[in-house]
Amino acid sequence: MMDSFKEWYEGRHQYAREWKKRTGKKVLGYFCTYVPEEILIAADVLPVRILGSHEPQDVTEPHIFGMFCPFCRDCLAQGLQGRYEYLDGIMISQSCLHIRQAYTSWKLHVPVEFSYYLPMPHHLQSRRALPYLTGELEAFKKAVEEWTGTTITEEGLNRGIEVMNRSRRLTRALYELRRRPDPPVTGLESMRVVAASQMVDKREYNEALQETIDRLPERAGRDGSRVRLMMLGSENDDVAFVGMVESLGAIFVIDDHCTGSRYFWNEVLTDRKPMESIAARYVDRVPCPTKDWPERKRIEHIRQLAKDWNVQGAIVVQQKFCDPHEIDIPAIIKALKQDGVPAQVLEIDVTVPVGQFKTRIEAFLEILKQEDLF
Amino acid sequence: MATEYWRWPESRWTSPEIDWKAGRIVTAGIDVGSVSSQAVVMVDGALFCYGSLRTGSNSPESAQRAMDFALAETGLVLADIHYIVGTGYGRVNISFAQRALTEIACHARGANFMYGPTVKTILDMGGQDCKAIRCDAKGKVTNFLMNDKCAAGTGRGMEVFADLLSVPIADMGRMSFEVEAEPEPVSSTCVVFAKSEAVGLLRKGWPKEKVLAAYSSAMAHRVVELLQRIQVEEDFAVTGGIAKNEGVVKRIEKELKIKALEPKFDTQIAGALGGALFAKALVEKDRGLR
Repeated sequence: MMDSFKEWYEGRHQYAREWKKRTGKKVLGYFCTYVPEEILIAADVLPVRILGSHEPQDVTEPHIFGMFCPFCRDCLAQGLQGRYEYLDGIMISQSCLHIRQAYTSWKLHVPVEFSYYLPMPHHLQSRRALPYLTGELEAFKKAVEEWTGTTITEEGLNRGIEVMNRSRRLTRALYELRRRPDPPVTGLESMRVVAASQMVDKREYNEALQETIDRLPERAGRDGSRVRLMMLGSENDDVAFVGMVESLGAIFVIDDHCTGSRYFWNEVLTDRKPMESIAARYVDRVPCPTKDWPERKRIEHIRQLAKDWNVQGAIVVQQKFCDPHEIDIPAIIKALKQDGVPAQVLEIDVTVPVGQFKTRIEAFLEILKQEDLF
Repeated sequence: MATEYWRWPESRWTSPEIDWKAGRIVTAGIDVGSVSSQAVVMVDGALFCYGSLRTGSNSPESAQRAMDFALAETGLVLADIHYIVGTGYGRVNISFAQRALTEIACHARGANFMYGPTVKTILDMGGQDCKAIRCDAKGKVTNFLMNDKCAAGTGRGMEVFADLLSVPIADMGRMSFEVEAEPEPVSSTCVVFAKSEAVGLLRKGWPKEKVLAAYSSAMAHRVVELLQRIQVEEDFAVTGGIAKNEGVVKRIEKELKIKALEPKFDTQIAGALGGALFAKALVEKDRGLR
């Protein structure tokens, strides 16, 4: 019953090409989950997240620094290799320098008819962040209107909010099921669901997920107990890695990363005018570490998730050279340790050293399993 | 044939005191590492025999050779062993092992046997990686750190330097102290970069002792960083092949300002030893003895 999400995830390009053919509308590739998809949906544009393919490549070397993160290089490689040739537009909202380099290089070397840099503020804890972002979103709306030749009405924005919120609610309902002692979905399946939600028309996704959630509770339980893990990180859709960990007697039950819960956790509250409501959602959502200061709000959120999902151990997946995430690691480990949740840090690249990581994960699980070998 | 300076002595040992036929539980641990393989056989929890040799290109075959080597002249055959635990990089390819456990768990358990229950921090300096392990009084791992996919600060790196400097690997530790003053460490511990840096130093006229000192201290510094991240709690012990290299161990001790426990056993057998001890616990569980 999880097959459609796997097909979408693996056939993302084919899906987008067919969607375009079927609807005659535009497709926009985006680089960061701070992009307000509500506005794009209001203009009948399909937003698709640009993700890497986790394959070695040699095309980005002239365009991006070697000490920039593997994710931004992997994303740019997709563009340079022509895998997103169907895109009509690309955009980024300011998150970090590395992924912005991928965006600007893409813009230069793989020209498309529309490109947009949304200056998403960093200092979200300032009370001036909301009016600032609201203004920026208005400007973005105008740019989209000019590009698509449509007018984005208030009804359109409300429709965008509704579609996005339903998608968020449903994905969160899927995550709720993982709180059970015997989760009906694995971490690998859940990861494909979330990643698929960043690639396909949300309306189609919502229907498929609703149907899945209706049937999931009856899904047969799995054999034996598994060690309940949490995955923390930046972008991480390395399904091979997740599959490897789950083949060793563990199951990921919750996560905080942007191809996971951080993407969909918060809804737009519709207590203000649509544009301000949308802006408020992106200001108040579970933050990315680039925007999580001076107070580190994410850590309390992570602790709560660990508690609510009854997590036994955490795996911190650190993209090599991603400083904003790396700087938080000691604080995260310390906080989780206080709550009795041990953590293991793995530094990942475009491809991962599976053998060595397997040893580390196995050793970590040996600690957590408390098997009586003594 | 050119002298193989990197070649470390393979070894085997049998206890003169143990009559295995009188034993109730005979277990073994096999550690197929990236560079060396060991087999350890224990009788009722006492060390009976072991063999340690170089890992070949084929891990099942290396496991078999290590086992045959350990059992040679003991009269014991594979079928007499009640339970075998495999560990190390090749652990999943050992057909005659009943269970695979990680070398991290096995090294901690083995070090606990070798050095006693006071050991709290173990540094395993293996052929291709380094692990800093914290454990409790039973030898159960509480935390660990491993270096990232690189041969710096490992046995393989030392082998490369043995060949480069034409110094037998067993003499490297002693020789690295034959310097008037301790030189600056080489700036990179990456084996490839360190090697080219060393070639430059030799060309500059540095004696090989001085180059060795510079490399050994760079290697020590690298693992000290790993140890500091996990926070060393005494007692501290070193296992693995590099534990036999005083040039590295003494420099680690100096930088940490902590003495490592003196080994009473061959430090390379720690992983296999831990495997054999886990095997014993598993047999006891099977027989309802625990």
